Amino acid sequence: MTLFHGRTGTEVVSLKKPGKENISLILFALPAFIVYALFKLFPAVSGIYYAMTNWNGINNAGKSYDFIGLDNFIEIMSDKYYWKSILFTMKYVLVMIIVVNIAALVLAVAIESRKRMKGIFRTIFFMPNMISMIIGGYMWMFVFTKVLYYMADNWGISFFDKSWIGDPQYAFIAIIIVASWGAVGYLMIIYMAALQGVPVNLKEAASLDGANAWQSFWHVSLPLIQNAVTICVFWTLNSAFQVFDVVYALTGGGPGRATQTVAINIYEEAFRGNIRYGYATAKSTMLFFIVFVITLIQLRVMKRKEQEL
Amino acid sequence: MKQKRSLINILVFVFLTAAAFFCLFPLLMAFVNSFKSNRELLANVVTLPRQWNFSNYIRTFDKMHYLRSLGNTIVLAAGGVGLIVLFSAMAGWKMCRTKNRLSKALFSLFVFSMLIPFNSIMIPLFRVVMMFHIKDSLIGLVFVYAGLGVSMGVFLYHGFVKSIPYELEEAARIDGCSSLQVFFLIVMPMLKPITAAICITNVLWIWNDFLLPLIVISDSKKYTLLLSTNTLFGQYSNDWTAILSALILAAVPVIIFYAFFQKQILHGISDGAIKG
Repeated sequence: MTLFHGRTGTEVVSLKKPGKENISLILFALPAFIVYALFKLFPAVSGIYYAMTNWNGINNAGKSYDFIGLDNFIEIMSDKYYWKSILFTMKYVLVMIIVVNIAALVLAVAIESRKRMKGIFRTIFFMPNMISMIIGGYMWMFVFTKVLYYMADNWGISFFDKSWIGDPQYAFIAIIIVASWGAVGYLMIIYMAALQGVPVNLKEAASLDGANAWQSFWHVSLPLIQNAVTICVFWTLNSAFQVFDVVYALTGGGPGRATQTVAINIYEEAFRGNIRYGYATAKSTMLFFIVFVITLIQLRVMKRKEQEL
Repeated sequence: MKQKRSLINILVFVFLTAAAFFCLFPLLMAFVNSFKSNRELLANVVTLPRQWNFSNYIRTFDKMHYLRSLGNTIVLAAGGVGLIVLFSAMAGWKMCRTKNRLSKALFSLFVFSMLIPFNSIMIPLFRVVMMFHIKDSLIGLVFVYAGLGVSMGVFLYHGFVKSIPYELEEAARIDGCSSLQVFFLIVMPMLKPITAAICITNVLWIWNDFLLPLIVISDSKKYTLLLSTNTLFGQYSNDWTAILSALILAAVPVIIFYAFFQKQILHGISDGAIKG
């Protein structure tokens, strides 16, 4: 049909009948769209409705429920444990953003400064990333509850002699250690790629002008990898807000509810004990709005910083 | 100057070695102690086992139904990734090549949800799963993973198709190929690089996903590796030799996968991040 007319691709497309074009488009997009609509779009939209019902797993096995307006959201306002879990999660997110990004950047710079054995270090540092945080978390649990005590008792390292899982303060540190262990390799890879993109002649020029390694990193490399910093901070923020596996494996949110993250709080509300699906959905809807606002603010701040440089 | 240089080099090396040791420490501890008897473990956790005794492994291999759990996990990962690649390549390619309002609207519909965290949809999703009676169904879960994964896939394919030439498709069409033939014979082979990256990220995601199976699967015959490890951890709460051998067994497939695909995995991450 287009044999004698169109030479370029755009002409071919424009010569086709728009109706036929759309049918073809719909047919090709349909499989993806069906699964997407069923398992992501519909849950996301219907969640807003369920958040306004008293749906739970007890009444008629979860099959009947009533619309109760904003009652769930009003209840959330005075739900002490929910806000505690939000606060705990925010503290976790903040510490993770700082600790993991600095650690990843330091490792990336250290590896990039070497001529030999780059590959093996990279391989090792990325390895924890491959392993589920459930598996890694239980392995660390062994380290915290058995190995460190052994070292404290037999080698006299009294610093290790702490209730790493049982004391809220140390449990938080333990969670940060394990979560950083699992995340740092990923960010390190991104930082390494960014550092490799910094032109060598710029660094040479800086060192000819008498800059030491630190100055050259701070004034030459870091501004040039600002983009990678934005990506990594964004990634940490997003994944840290949803943290579940590490905490589930290490402390289960305990002792008491001291290390309960918001994901654990929602999970417990819905699938343990109360089985209040509607109320838990309201909690998760609230979480979405909080994350959404924070993401917008963060993107704006990072963009402005980038432009300044 | 030169001396100072080499001193710094040595310090960097020492630092990196210490960090590497820290990275491997929990794996090492788990490995070493998984071969010990309970009494030996209590006596000394940091030494090598007196003999490499596999009895813990034999015990947990049966107890966690290792092969069955492994099989279930492979079904989920392979099925999920297969569907994600097929569905999102079809949609992403056609949407990129069709330049009209409908196509644009569809694309933004796929992309806009990428920021919605899983936590926010997990309970309504649980309800959808109940409605379709696919609780405890691995095949059903494969489709759920596809639904959760296609938006990212469509986004990546859509972006990649822009960079491949249109002329080949046009030529094939003039030679009488149908749309499906063009897609499978011409387009899919050209999408290989991005397909590899999508396969790897999604295999890792599904393989290591814990929360969704935890919610959706309650029949122990359908347990994934992580679910059976988790159950075993609960049952043997103080029997560390059993738990550690189970943890090593659960980690082994991923480590083998890493050994084979290390290059692709690391490339996929750095490319994806920089382009994204």
